[in-house]
Amino acid sequence: MKSPVNRSSLAVLSLAPLLGASQTLLHAATMTALSVVAIVVHRALMTPLRRQLDASCAMIASVLLAAAVVTCQTLTLHAWALELRQALGIYPELIAVSCLLVEQSLGSPGQWRRLALLLAGYGALFLLLGACRELLASGSLQLANLAPGALLLLGLLLALTKRACPKQAAPTVKETADR
Amino acid sequence: MNVRGPLVVGLLTLISAGASIAWQHYCAPLIAAAEEDQQARAWLAVLPEASYDNQPLQQPIALPDPDLAHSRIQAGYLASLHGRSSAVLLLSRFPGYAGPVDLLIAIDRDGRVIASRVLQQQETLGLGARIAEPGNTWLQGFNGHGQGNTPDSAWALKRDNGQFDQLAGASVTSRAVIHAIQDALRYFDQHAPQWLNEGTAP
Repeated sequence: MKSPVNRSSLAVLSLAPLLGASQTLLHAATMTALSVVAIVVHRALMTPLRRQLDASCAMIASVLLAAAVVTCQTLTLHAWALELRQALGIYPELIAVSCLLVEQSLGSPGQWRRLALLLAGYGALFLLLGACRELLASGSLQLANLAPGALLLLGLLLALTKRACPKQAAPTVKETADR
Repeated sequence: MNVRGPLVVGLLTLISAGASIAWQHYCAPLIAAAEEDQQARAWLAVLPEASYDNQPLQQPIALPDPDLAHSRIQAGYLASLHGRSSAVLLLSRFPGYAGPVDLLIAIDRDGRVIASRVLQQQETLGLGARIAEPGNTWLQGFNGHGQGNTPDSAWALKRDNGQFDQLAGASVTSRAVIHAIQDALRYFDQHAPQWLNEGTAP
């Protein structure tokens, strides 16, 4: 299903957690795990609904489900990992946007293989960025601790990935959005 | 067929809101306990672990006339080791540069600062706010000082003919902290006999 919703603006929104919550490897791993769980649960719940609903109703359902899934997930994090919750700030909530983005870009039900590839690419990028930032910041490069440093680093990582395997670079947020 | 979509969406609204509320209800006590636990750890971080064996936060002390010259004592607790009181925790609130600052001060039996720690502040980022950084060396500079070993006139910034350095670019915050610590030490010296004897009773 092609949607008129501007996908690149959604892609920019899912960039926010990537830059804002990847200060250490632990933060990045937590965010990856939260994203994967939320997106998979959201997708699994949406798959049967999509067959029943028309486009506009499916869109509303998708937003509702994303909000509910992410609310419950964030509460869980708050209760069992308070320090991580405080360190990650608003970003666990923003995963709801990633859920919508994935739902939008994958469209028709099923496509679990593509979803797995997408999540693997996203997670790998997240973990790599987290590891690089932690490493550089511990090496007293303070820029790596800040969001602008993360953006530069992300650009560098993507450029290197493209360079290393020009044909089959990991599906990035932007590419996914443009599909 | 047309009503089916909105019907499903309405049902979904109820289910997702219900699930969120139910889960929030279940998590609320756990969250409260976790936050309390975290607060207790932040408070007890000013005491060396070997210096107490009671639960200081369960042992509040009486705080008569808590309004001091430059600050207000918000709370006080007694730490003890082997039934003998070992330290007093005082939470002092005073106006900083940009808003109230909550400073927790641990004072030993002899009226000297063991350690202090800022729990809450709204000072200027990068200047005054540095007092809240864990292990801030400037704040640690007061450790070991008390009314006994530091004369009254020395409790001031060097530029005010005192003994203490100031935090770079934050003289208002620095003065406020010095006055608050001095206030707390005076308050301790006034009331220590009563607090410390209470601890030894049973």
